[in-house]
Amino acid sequence: MLHITLDDIRHECAANMTILQVIQAAGRDLPALCNDERLQPAGACRLCMVEVEGAPRAVASCAASVEDGMVIRTDTPALEASRRTNLSLLAAHYPPDAVAREPEHPFHRLLAEYGVTPGGEARDPLFHDDSHPYLGVDMDRCIHCYRCVRICDEVQGQFVWWTWQRGEHTYVAPDGDTLLEGGCVSCGACVDSCPSGALFDKRSIETPDRWTRSTCVYCGVGCQMNVGSHAQRIVQVRPADSPVNRGHLCSKGRYAFEFTHATDRITTPMLRESGEWREVSWDMALDYTATRLREIVACHGQDATGVLGSARASNEENYLAQKFARVVLGTNNVDCCARVCHTPSAKALKTMLGTGAATNSFDDIERAQTFLLCGCNPTENHPIVGARIKQAVRKGAQLIVIDPRRIELADYATFHLPLRPGCNVMLFNAMAATIIEEGLLDSAFAAQRIDGLDAFSNFIRAYAPEAVADACGLSAETIRAAARLYAIAKPSMCFHGLGVTEHVQGTEGVMALINLALLTGNLGKSGSGINPLRGQNNVQGSAQMGCDPNSLTGAQAIPDARASFEAVWQAAIPQSHGLDLLSMMDAATAGRFKALWVFGYDIYLTLADAARTAQALQALELVVIQDMFMNETARAFGHVFLPAASVFEKDGTFMNSDRRVQRIRQAILPIGDSRPDWWIIQQAAQRMGHAQGFSFDGPQAIWDEIRTLWPAGAGLSYARLESESINWPCPSEDHPGTPVLHAERFANGQRATLVCIPSMPSGDQCDADYPLLLTTGRTLYQFNAGTMTYRTPNAVLQPSDTLDMAASDAQRLGLHEGEQVRLTSRYGSAVLPLRITDTVKPGELFTSFHRPDLFVNRVTSPYRDRLVKSPEYKVTAVRVSRLV
Amino acid sequence: MIPPLRRRPNESFYHLAHVPLTGHACQGLACFAARNNAPQRWQQAHARTPPLFCLGKCYQGPAVADEETRPHIEVLSRHAVLLSNVVKGGVRDLAAYEANGGGQALRRALALSRTDVIGEIADSGLRGRGGAGFSAGRKWAAVAASVASRKYVVANADEGDPGTFSDRLLMEDDPFRLIEAMAIAAYAVGAEHGVIYLRKEYPQARAVLETTLWQAGEAGWLGPQVLGSSHRFTLELHIGQGSYVCGEETAMLNAIEGRRAEVRLRPPQITAQGLFGAPTLVNNVETLCAVPWIVMHGARHYAALGTPSSSGTKLLSLNSLFFRPGLYEVEFGMTLRHIVEQVGGGLKRGRLLGVMIGGPLAGLVPPSLLDTPFGYEELQQIGCAVGHGGVIAFADDTSIAELVAEVFRFGALESCGKCTPCHFGSPELARMFREVIGGGRISAERWHALINALADTSLCGHGRGLAEFARAIERHYPQELERCFT
Repeated sequence: MLHITLDDIRHECAANMTILQVIQAAGRDLPALCNDERLQPAGACRLCMVEVEGAPRAVASCAASVEDGMVIRTDTPALEASRRTNLSLLAAHYPPDAVAREPEHPFHRLLAEYGVTPGGEARDPLFHDDSHPYLGVDMDRCIHCYRCVRICDEVQGQFVWWTWQRGEHTYVAPDGDTLLEGGCVSCGACVDSCPSGALFDKRSIETPDRWTRSTCVYCGVGCQMNVGSHAQRIVQVRPADSPVNRGHLCSKGRYAFEFTHATDRITTPMLRESGEWREVSWDMALDYTATRLREIVACHGQDATGVLGSARASNEENYLAQKFARVVLGTNNVDCCARVCHTPSAKALKTMLGTGAATNSFDDIERAQTFLLCGCNPTENHPIVGARIKQAVRKGAQLIVIDPRRIELADYATFHLPLRPGCNVMLFNAMAATIIEEGLLDSAFAAQRIDGLDAFSNFIRAYAPEAVADACGLSAETIRAAARLYAIAKPSMCFHGLGVTEHVQGTEGVMALINLALLTGNLGKSGSGINPLRGQNNVQGSAQMGCDPNSLTGAQAIPDARASFEAVWQAAIPQSHGLDLLSMMDAATAGRFKALWVFGYDIYLTLADAARTAQALQALELVVIQDMFMNETARAFGHVFLPAASVFEKDGTFMNSDRRVQRIRQAILPIGDSRPDWWIIQQAAQRMGHAQGFSFDGPQAIWDEIRTLWPAGAGLSYARLESESINWPCPSEDHPGTPVLHAERFANGQRATLVCIPSMPSGDQCDADYPLLLTTGRTLYQFNAGTMTYRTPNAVLQPSDTLDMAASDAQRLGLHEGEQVRLTSRYGSAVLPLRITDTVKPGELFTSFHRPDLFVNRVTSPYRDRLVKSPEYKVTAVRVSRLV
Repeated sequence: MIPPLRRRPNESFYHLAHVPLTGHACQGLACFAARNNAPQRWQQAHARTPPLFCLGKCYQGPAVADEETRPHIEVLSRHAVLLSNVVKGGVRDLAAYEANGGGQALRRALALSRTDVIGEIADSGLRGRGGAGFSAGRKWAAVAASVASRKYVVANADEGDPGTFSDRLLMEDDPFRLIEAMAIAAYAVGAEHGVIYLRKEYPQARAVLETTLWQAGEAGWLGPQVLGSSHRFTLELHIGQGSYVCGEETAMLNAIEGRRAEVRLRPPQITAQGLFGAPTLVNNVETLCAVPWIVMHGARHYAALGTPSSSGTKLLSLNSLFFRPGLYEVEFGMTLRHIVEQVGGGLKRGRLLGVMIGGPLAGLVPPSLLDTPFGYEELQQIGCAVGHGGVIAFADDTSIAELVAEVFRFGALESCGKCTPCHFGSPELARMFREVIGGGRISAERWHALINALADTSLCGHGRGLAEFARAIERHYPQELERCFT
């Protein structure tokens, strides 16, 4: 501790603080308009000047470090006079009417406090932009703190705002006529930082009367945010400080919240009668559901029914969903959408290392020397992680990008390996072969932690880069260089996405990555690891809570954990082998599976090969849809619609990508007659004779039961979650959590075994009729099935999915930018607008699957992962033709 | 790492980016002092945008870009440390440079240990000639002590202070001396890369240095093995785009990096984190050009010149109002009166209003203080500075109000715009004095408030220097200033 004197009062403070932080920590207020804790100090506004005894002149407290024994004065007449003068200079161009309109604005209160009247002098030039759907611009109010410029540079790394000219002609504007032309990604960080109101959230007309801290409902990063509500409406979202997002959000988290109040939201239960939906009471809907389920069980057996949990729903709700399946329906037929994304990752990690989750925490991004990004596009799909990686690379970390497309981060990469889709295993094996051949193995780590090295070394010889480079579409030298970098510039941190998992060899692709980490000792250390970037807010939690046919809560295998669960549940867990999502579909088509309850998941729209999905769903006798909107599954196949409350309308927890359990909190009451999922499940269970075990009075009580059953989560009490951000395993209330897994030993033993994985071709192959290769993925402004984002102004930012094609292919096919084209595979077709871009290679195409009406999954391939059945969304042979 | 496609915004910082100099007349303060010698030319220059402040031809002001005449050049010190070649008419050819003893210092330095070279510089008492007067030896030692895989040596050739032309002549007439000095410095601090940051206003120096660098490379003075040694040194020329604050070293480093030339906060010091984050030695041209002589003749001989605290020789640039304008090498210690009356021979016309030494961001020395000795601490005591050694005489055809207006006009145009008092305060002061010249009166209270804010809260020496100038006026010309107030 340091001892300082602040305006004659002695204080203690920690080292490594700025003087301003010490002043603020002492509860004192000092104007500091250019200061933002997220940014490097700029020392521009000169309002936070203080006098330090012995210093030759006043210092900017925001930029000066505190030192032991400092005697600091904040309030001498000279300082106060300079503060007033500088404020008067800042206010000379400030519009008086803004002050009159919003006297309570902090900057306006500051002016009033110092008796400074705004002068309203004209400015020239002045940037105008009314075109952005979210970001309001009123540069008349700019006070040249440059926080927008700095946060766009230092946090988002987008360089949209620039300082132009100099001296009194200085102004702030993008390099382009509008923000979007200047490259804006609509994260709103500039608005969040702006102290004067020059930048504002233009759709937030009402001032929030209540702020509720919660967790973002989009990707799996798990950003913390403050939700502003006014008169039971969500009116604004602002980033909160947390180790995950550090006061930053992306356009989805920050702005795409208006779906909550969409006019087509369904807030009354409905039953389909003679093909038409009819609004009914909750009693009628639940009674009908319970009766039908009982009838089907009676007629076709318990295993003719199944439940799909939801990545959108909370841990508590997913826990209840699988408990409902196992206890009420009496079946292990329960799964969730992890099946189609990262179940391969969970399977591979669990098999080889013992824990089916990311090995490291996001805190390690700033500790890594090298990043290996495989089949993920973080700046669009996990934007906060993307921004952090970008900043780390700008500060000197190395970056290897393995992706068929030239994604944004490829521009920052030391090596970009644009491999041919479907060649992951071959490429990772070639990197492993390089590591072995060139003696880059971490021998010390291998000696202590690895088994199977000899067999692996023999096996991998066949995968020398020179042998496989052509098949991968890469040069052998690039493969070798990337392998060397990953092996040498340690610690190396690997992030992967669905470009690795959504393949016939998805699980094996992740295993091949784990081999690389094992060979190079990039496991169990800060700044290293194998880290799946989970696509949805609670997809990790959904499966972890037991929405998986083979495991119970905490990813515990049924045979191992049966006894403890039966003791708590006071019910038997079914003995039969459960069906996963894809097996349920197959069983439905075969006539063995009859009833499905789907929570917050549009399976018809999102499963690959929609024709096959339709065939299965068509065969069901009962489809219960629990959602906020009439999704495509409900529209085509639903019998019961149960209106669910949104994330803003309930309490609970989500589990993010790096194993943190984080709270969501109710900001407004459920809209209309909608109800939280946990309430609905309990009501149905009670009607089916299971009041016992389904009578929790709320999410916290459910969570406490989860903690008794999941040893690694036992320490994560709601009380701790209020103030801590903890990575599980956290087995007790006094355990600090485990940011880095496998430090001393793996979860399944001291040593992990290298796995020899022969590479296999993708299911779908190009031929003369289907000469092009299609991969699918997500984009920045839209999310998955578009259910939420298309009901917000994000629809303006990205109105449509597009078919991305290289210019040479377009020229050869005689197709033009923007033209509607037909995309046809062996399985179906879709019509999309064409976008010509150099981000895809000739012969390859990319599209997203966000718009229900475009229905891209009519085209995608029916092939599935060999081990866990995830569809191979990433490789479909197609042709493209002009609409006639 | 700044994405390469978006250079436009940062370029807009610099007023001479994409502006040809041909036909441009100078608006520097020395030309302002001499404006009545050619009133029409001055008015044209003053009306022109973007403004051009100081072409380094103050001896023939008001000056125009393309008029080349050589100033009077004279060595008045006991040894010609800096001007031995310049005074002979210049040495721009490597063979001639070597024939005049060039290169011996570099060879000698390469034979010494790095520590010994730095020791010589430190013991010589050489202080930075760019304005701050910081000990060169301490700077060199700090960079040498920084551990890094990459270090830089940067020559600050942004001789922006109106009234100075010494560095311009050193570069145009004796360019190999600068290169030799930089190679010695690079060897001493362990740098393998060097940059000369040259202002755009010196096109002749650019042409000379381009040829010189090529010759030096061909002859093995630069490259992987400097003069056959194991020392590697590459040197490149960076041409500025027009900005006075680039004379401040951190602003200059930002300019070389392609950023806005705003000053950086310190710490970190640039000796630890400078150009592209690497330890960097920055010295101005004149400082560096003293190095070969010191290495050849020894620290003791250099320290014997001048005074104990201001050792060595200094170049003085005298403007066209003097009877004998030109470039002089002198020793520290002589009085200002000696400089004005003996060296410069007094004024060509009118009575002396005052002399501005070391540029506009210091004081104006009134005639009553001319007995002050020329030295760093001595000038500081009267609120003035050695600065860059420019000596601009103002005659009584310039009023204090006109001078203040001109200095603040310059100060406002060259402010980077980062910190509040300088960004908004200096233009307000310029406007206030424009009013005074137009016959108006200004608020004394506002003047004091603005000067205090500038002095106490400016981020860098630009704003503070403007305030120092203002305070020197308050101190030495109170009656003239009083007449400006309501």
